[in-house]
Amino acid sequence: MFTQILWWLGNATEAFILARSVKGKIYRKYPAFYFYLSTVLFVELLRFATYTLQPSLHRVLYWYTEYVAATVGYLVILEIYRHALKSSPGAARIARTFLLFVLAAVILKVMMNALSGPAWSPAATSAELERNLRTVQLLLLFGIVGLLAYYRIPTSRNLKGITFGYSFYVFACVMSLAFGSLPDYALRPAWRLVQPIAFLAALFIWGGTLWSYQPSPEPETKSEIERDYKFLSEQTNRILSRARSYLKLGGEL
Amino acid sequence: MSQLLPYVGLGLLFLVVLGLWVRQSFVTRAGRAELLVPRQHRSGVGRAAPLRDLGERIFGPEDWDFVSRDTSSEIQRMFQRERTILALAWLRRTRMRTSQVMRAHVVAARQSEDLQLATEIRLALSYLLFLILCDFLIGLIWLRGPVRTRRIVRQGFHWAAGLRATFEQLMAIVDPANRRALDVGFNQGTAQS
Repeated sequence: MFTQILWWLGNATEAFILARSVKGKIYRKYPAFYFYLSTVLFVELLRFATYTLQPSLHRVLYWYTEYVAATVGYLVILEIYRHALKSSPGAARIARTFLLFVLAAVILKVMMNALSGPAWSPAATSAELERNLRTVQLLLLFGIVGLLAYYRIPTSRNLKGITFGYSFYVFACVMSLAFGSLPDYALRPAWRLVQPIAFLAALFIWGGTLWSYQPSPEPETKSEIERDYKFLSEQTNRILSRARSYLKLGGEL
Repeated sequence: MSQLLPYVGLGLLFLVVLGLWVRQSFVTRAGRAELLVPRQHRSGVGRAAPLRDLGERIFGPEDWDFVSRDTSSEIQRMFQRERTILALAWLRRTRMRTSQVMRAHVVAARQSEDLQLATEIRLALSYLLFLILCDFLIGLIWLRGPVRTRRIVRQGFHWAAGLRATFEQLMAIVDPANRRALDVGFNQGTAQS
């Protein structure tokens, strides 16, 4: 009963957010995010139709469509990256390096797995594959959110909502899939509610922050000193070294 | 169960970063004001003399030597209490000013197109080390008072110097050629700091 309430509430909220985006024309600003939401809603309704009309197909369809949602989620991350770092070329440069590093690590891991086992399969189970997909998403979001926090990059309320809601949901997915792979946890019915509850929470966050379009804050104008990065970093380094020398407590000891 | 550790570790780390970002997002207006504040202070931090002089006076042995020689134990306790408050305030001020400089740096650096990843990592680590040291000293002074903390710090530097000498002797025996290269590195590091 509780699962059904969650399911209907989730779909209704999704439909409401989508309707609101059409009314406020926000979907034009964040097409990938609204495409993701539409895909999730469509998949849920498709699952419901299959469950009602062809129950034998439901299980197979469930796992295949689970990958669809997880894969489309990468577009959301790309959109967050594009919007958040467009006015911060320095931070964007670091983000690109980080994304390439994660990509290289994933490719290396897949190749090592392929070489280490003769009968290698992408993942032992469907849940494991989804967990791996979500873990890579978590890593990418970790990089982007870390840069946003470290460089204090100003973002619009809309983007904050998308980033926070999606990050929270991906975090909950990784945790629930990781713990769910343990035999003790998988059997507990309450454990299966973690993902739907987290998604509903994310939907409420999106509903609140995407009510109307809010433009990104204007980038600050650059001064002459800020253009010379080398000079700036040398200055900061010198001041940090001097500040550290104060900690000798009283200069010469 | 051990297979869970990477996921739980990554998840917790992510939660911390997300929490920091969310907390920061709620004070966006203050963050924008920081763009101006550090520039006003930048030259102030650059002027090392007042802060350093103050630190030398607070932690210097002269006042304590005088108080411990010529006054009663009650006055000595009072002196220690007052000096602890002063030392903590000085350290917090140093920490705050350095943080302002670092904030001004990251705000300016994020717009720079020729930003260097290695330089940024070095600065971030340097700042992190400073914060750890500062917080450690604040804790130590709060627990033991500035006079005893100064002794501990002095002892720490002596140990570090001793360790370095031992390490150099060891390197001279194991690899004389490499030792010369290491000497240059140490000296450059000392010159920079």
